[in-house]
Amino acid sequence: MTAPALVRRDVAGRKAGPVAPRHGWRQDLIGWSFAAPFVILFGIFLALPILASFVLSFTSFGLRDLENPIGSTVVGVQNYVDLIADPKFWKSLGNTVYFVVVGVPLTLALGLVIANALSRGITRFRTAFRVGYYLPVITSIVAIAVVWRFLLNPDVGLINMLIQSVGINGPNWLADPTLAMPSIITMAIWRNLGFAMVVFIAGMQAIPAVLYEAASIDGAGRWQSFRYVTLPMLRPAILFMLVITTIGYLQLFEEPFVMTDGGPLDATLSVTMYMYQQGFEFFHQGYASAIAYVLFVIVAIVAFLQFKFLREET
Amino acid sequence: MDISRISWRVFALALSLIIVTTACGTNDPGGSAAVDPSAGAAATDAGASGSPAASPAADLSGELTVWAMGAEGTKLGTLADAFMEANPDVKVSVTPVDWGQAVAKLQTAIAGKTTPDVSQMGTDMMGQFGATGAFEPVPADIASSAYFESAWNTNMVDGVVSGVPWYVETRLLYYRKDIAEKAGITSPPATWDDLKATAKAMQEKGGAKYGIGLGTKNWQEYFPFLWSNGGDVVDASGKPTLNSPQAVEALTFYDSFFEEGLTPTTVPEGTDPATPFVTGDTPMFFSGPWHLTGVKDAGGAGFEDKWAIAPMTKKVTATSFLGGSNVVVFKNSENKDAAWAFVRFLSDPKTQALWYTTSSDLPAVQSGWEEAEVKSDPNVAMFGEQLKDTRAQPVSATWSELSSSINDTLEKMTTGDMTPQAAADEMQQNAESIGTN
Repeated sequence: MTAPALVRRDVAGRKAGPVAPRHGWRQDLIGWSFAAPFVILFGIFLALPILASFVLSFTSFGLRDLENPIGSTVVGVQNYVDLIADPKFWKSLGNTVYFVVVGVPLTLALGLVIANALSRGITRFRTAFRVGYYLPVITSIVAIAVVWRFLLNPDVGLINMLIQSVGINGPNWLADPTLAMPSIITMAIWRNLGFAMVVFIAGMQAIPAVLYEAASIDGAGRWQSFRYVTLPMLRPAILFMLVITTIGYLQLFEEPFVMTDGGPLDATLSVTMYMYQQGFEFFHQGYASAIAYVLFVIVAIVAFLQFKFLREET
Repeated sequence: MDISRISWRVFALALSLIIVTTACGTNDPGGSAAVDPSAGAAATDAGASGSPAASPAADLSGELTVWAMGAEGTKLGTLADAFMEANPDVKVSVTPVDWGQAVAKLQTAIAGKTTPDVSQMGTDMMGQFGATGAFEPVPADIASSAYFESAWNTNMVDGVVSGVPWYVETRLLYYRKDIAEKAGITSPPATWDDLKATAKAMQEKGGAKYGIGLGTKNWQEYFPFLWSNGGDVVDASGKPTLNSPQAVEALTFYDSFFEEGLTPTTVPEGTDPATPFVTGDTPMFFSGPWHLTGVKDAGGAGFEDKWAIAPMTKKVTATSFLGGSNVVVFKNSENKDAAWAFVRFLSDPKTQALWYTTSSDLPAVQSGWEEAEVKSDPNVAMFGEQLKDTRAQPVSATWSELSSSINDTLEKMTTGDMTPQAAADEMQQNAESIGTN
């Protein structure tokens, strides 16, 4: 197959773009003034807070400093030292890794299966299915929480009623420390599946039909054309989704926040939730900033590794 | 990949659904903070029936911004209207704040120096926000003796009176009379031993699934047992005493309900205790005055005679938990005279009674209980009686962290294997490292 080369040439061609225009300060000014709205907003609402929280992470900024932030005590790397000795931080990091390691592959695999089914298998009600899978992505988490709490309710929930009908007493999903995280993972997969599906469908539609024709002339069946045409051609889309989903899942917050509040026994406490607790419930903004930066470094390393190893194989 | 090639029909449909669903989504949480349309009607009623006499100082004028949270925020307009009637030159605007956002909003306001003139402040929030130094000390002429003592004490931040009690709540025992009778019990439990015996009898003979519902991780339910056993959270000098012999004994008693299967160890998050109470699964639970209507609503017709309330059970004392809210004036207020006039107005017994009829919140002012409206309901009167023996959590800047760690430990004990002694030691150790000032 020469398929990957096709894509690369495509991307490279687009990157080269049109011939650069004559350069001068006028063009610079015009360019910057077009970019200004974004640059200013980005600067004030993103870059500045990110910088400020980096500074905060070296202070003991807390309640008593609210009225006079400049007066807070600089504690150096003490927050980071405390973090290493904080069992609750490690617990939350472990939970987050669990969530990512189980959740990301499942989300991508299911997204791929559904995308493939909807673009090559199922032809009737295709639109209805696509909308159905995409709906959770755009639905408010509050509404989702209400529905899922009902679903997972041990006494009147649909899931336990189904289990009950075959004669087994269903567990209390969200109140059991070993089952709470799997429940949260299931909910997160359901919620994020649609986005993966849409991206994969888009990627699949960009695969030239001639490749499938060639494959079928060569005697490839459905599985083989998926394995040797669809998958390799989708590599960029899969890499993109892998990185995006991993970054998103490492910042797990909404699901446990609305469903379990981190419990039971901290079984669903994620790093981001712990950061929120420390920063906005306990007022340890310096410490919370340190947590944020540790998470940032972890995310950066993971994303870097994914790019490095997966892109080169393409 | 090329997004633009996705079927446009899918996108158009998805887009229209985004609009629909997000609109619904944002309406949900926002709804609770929206102003209750019936409040306006109630206000006119109140005005017609003679507004409570506040100390009317004729020279008050200007604007006053008041923040109030949750249900209070939607109903405070009634009192604001009554106040403006007595002080026509003052314009009071009430900003309802969602409880979920209250802490973050107050933090932002204090840091940005955009605080309101007056705000409601939960009794457990006094320490945290008092530590920021944003509260104006209370004028000396507002006398502590008018209020319930434990409510007044929640305003003592580092020895300075920083707020004034507004309304209070305390916890009583709700129990199923019919199930108790079936189990051969004719009077509500008065002592700890009674409580245990009643729970057992209700489960064994009364046909209830469990004996009593208790929080697996709720310091507000544990502390009454700690206090009633002669223990306390901190001693007179402010040092934590969470592993005193009294505390260990109280924890042992509390845990025994879980150990003996009298109390469910797993309750779905967000379950209203009134639901299993009505079905009879947990025929007893401790809760505040809001469950008077909560149980009534959940029970429906024909349920009225099946339940009753009883005072906190006794060991050394029968001390219950006191919660509720205070009102504070912020240092940055530019209209402090009007602000304190409004606070005084809220403490007026007549206003307290009007507030009770508006919101069902119980008067924090003792003489408020002499008003006819408040006295008439015997169930409410029982809460009034209990209020005389109540305690509140210590006022501490670290309270939210400390209470959260106490809850964590309680959960390990009630649902896990932790022994009461180990739980007490862990609570003490955490309290010492978090600090109680």
